[in-house]
Amino acid sequence: MHGLKRTGWTVFFGMLPALLIYTGIALVPIGMSLYYSFFSWDGLSPMRHVGLHNYISTLTDGVFWKGVGNNLFMLATGIFGQLPIGLFFALLLNRSLKGIKVYRSMLFLPVVISAVIVSIIWGMVFKIESGMLNGLLGLIGLESWQQDWLGSPKLGMLSVSITYIWQNYGFFMVIFLAALQNIPQEMREAALMDGASGWKHFWYVTLPMLKDTIWVTLIFAISNSFRVFDLIYVMTAGGPAHNTEVMTIYMYNNAFQNMNFGYGSAVSMLILLFSLIAIYAAKLITQRNR
Amino acid sequence: MKYCVTITNIRKGSDLVKSSIFKTVLIAASAALLLSGCGGATGGEGNRQGNEKKETVTLTMEYNWSSPNADNLYYKERIKQFEEQNPDINIEAQDIPSAQYRTKLRTEAAGNSMPDMFILFPAVEMEPYIAADVLMPIDEIMDEWKGILPPQALAGFNVNGKQYAIPTKMTFVDIIYYHKDLLESVGYKEFPATYSEFLEMAKKLKAAGITPIVMGNKNRWPMQSSFISAVGDRFAGSDFLQKVIQGEAKFTDPDYVNALNTVSELVNLEAFNADINTMDEVQQQDYFLQKKAAITITSSTIDTKFRAGNTDKAAAENIGIALFPAVEGGKGDPTKSAGVIQYGIGLSKGLSDAKKEAAMKFLKFFYAPELYTTLMSKGIVVPALVETPADTTPYLKEMLELTKNGSAVVFDSVMQPALKDAMENGIQAILTKQKTPEQVAKELQDTMDKNRR
Repeated sequence: MHGLKRTGWTVFFGMLPALLIYTGIALVPIGMSLYYSFFSWDGLSPMRHVGLHNYISTLTDGVFWKGVGNNLFMLATGIFGQLPIGLFFALLLNRSLKGIKVYRSMLFLPVVISAVIVSIIWGMVFKIESGMLNGLLGLIGLESWQQDWLGSPKLGMLSVSITYIWQNYGFFMVIFLAALQNIPQEMREAALMDGASGWKHFWYVTLPMLKDTIWVTLIFAISNSFRVFDLIYVMTAGGPAHNTEVMTIYMYNNAFQNMNFGYGSAVSMLILLFSLIAIYAAKLITQRNR
Repeated sequence: MKYCVTITNIRKGSDLVKSSIFKTVLIAASAALLLSGCGGATGGEGNRQGNEKKETVTLTMEYNWSSPNADNLYYKERIKQFEEQNPDINIEAQDIPSAQYRTKLRTEAAGNSMPDMFILFPAVEMEPYIAADVLMPIDEIMDEWKGILPPQALAGFNVNGKQYAIPTKMTFVDIIYYHKDLLESVGYKEFPATYSEFLEMAKKLKAAGITPIVMGNKNRWPMQSSFISAVGDRFAGSDFLQKVIQGEAKFTDPDYVNALNTVSELVNLEAFNADINTMDEVQQQDYFLQKKAAITITSSTIDTKFRAGNTDKAAAENIGIALFPAVEGGKGDPTKSAGVIQYGIGLSKGLSDAKKEAAMKFLKFFYAPELYTTLMSKGIVVPALVETPADTTPYLKEMLELTKNGSAVVFDSVMQPALKDAMENGIQAILTKQKTPEQVAKELQDTMDKNRR
């Protein structure tokens, strides 16, 4: 290992291009947003310093908190929807089966499709007259359940989340599948000899072996849920009446539609803050469970 | 660190990652990066060359003519004609969906990357551009339209005595279209003249199993623009919104609360289609044409789709037009329609001399009298004083007759974006029964007060 002493610098130079790009497209804009968030600015006329006013009016706006609530809803569907479903399919696919590759590709497909297309397809599913969901309900005699899924104040978020789960479970499936294939075959055999099969095997052998992977996917699920925008924007644009609005859409509406870039910047700083809190909380739980 | 472990796991373990899908995605992603990089570079070069050689001038342009309306198609045709006649001028146009257009243009203005020519919205929408001083006046060529465009057609694009654009058409946003036979089937030979009769008719239609009114409010502006503009005018009068802006009246005044209450009354009757908040405006038109609803309220431009350009002549003949009926104790004139001038092409202030010359030449060609006569023969109301063409349809004559009594105020043509936003979300909240008209009126007034500060 003759290069051992230089390793630090080698790593640094190796990472330099990535670091520069990251600074340019992530750190600098975040700094600029922080700066803008103390101003009232419509993008065209001169900027006016307003101190913390943007933060105060965001935090006292009920619509913003509704967005926070909806974000938490998305967070919950990410964790309790995408992860279990991803794991479920990973377990199913983790065996030798004829045409396994076809199944794997099929189940992974939603991740590859663009969010806009996904939204349009599911928008059709949820349509009131020609929608597939209402059609199915009609077939099994549940006409009374038929409704305008995306337009309903009560079920709008749920309908959006179903799409969100469908779009993303495949990503977690791949991660789980990789982890499953890494569990040594000997473990399985040893467990079988000890009499652990089926559920017991899953609970006492597979799940503990996946622990690290589960924490990683948890972090992904949290950060994804705070970033969600395109899916909701195309399906409902946050409507009707802010019912499906998340923080990112609130930010977009204020910054770009109402031309208040200072206010929008303040909202995006708050989004950053909330995501960091959520991820930090997840990290704490992780460490305690180690 | 955990992150790295997982990635290696994927590498080692999964066939999927090795499979062609993953590779394809990678290739596609990198190709997209490369392509977008190249695209940017060539675009820049093209512009530079255009300026240096002085032979071909390239003008960039943005418009919101993506819906297949009769006039939109004709505008694009005119641009093509202009390019054919002027091989030395090249127009690079981008067609942007209407719902996103204003946001895009404003953001470009903020980022100092406006196109050379762009569709400009009149009145309140122009204010930020005027304040930022990014528009070029076109007074030097205004003689071209002397005697063709009357002052009221130009007023919306005129600020402090300077003209910044001229309109192609006059759009009335609140035209009620109805199927004559469906109304007749519940006993109405003519469209009701009062609001209470209108409600009565809605009840009868509902009882007969016909959806009374279809609206496609997914993009939120239809109810604000086509419905509230007219109803607000009926209840509170045409000067109300201006008074609110000046602080002499409030949205919480009983007149305006009553106007918002009409939405609530119609919702309680279930007069609208159930998917009003998830249907868009084009689906709304089709729903109406398929006779799934008796009435729809939309702009005068759509008349060409419903009637003049409709291949089913009997169906076209069966569609009648009307304005929102009179309301009891209302302060507005029930014969007024809410109209705005549309599609002025504005120029960026930063144009070079060569580009400016080309742009002016384009405007003279584009807005030539033949534009207005052709639009009229397509059944579209224009603000110009041109000879009515011989092939004017009876439908256009009927529309001109209906809208001749002056114009009521279109809500978002005078209200700031924040107010438009509050109104649109407020109406949706009434439609979903989450808020009362009183609550919405109060929110509107709060937004108004906050905005004024």
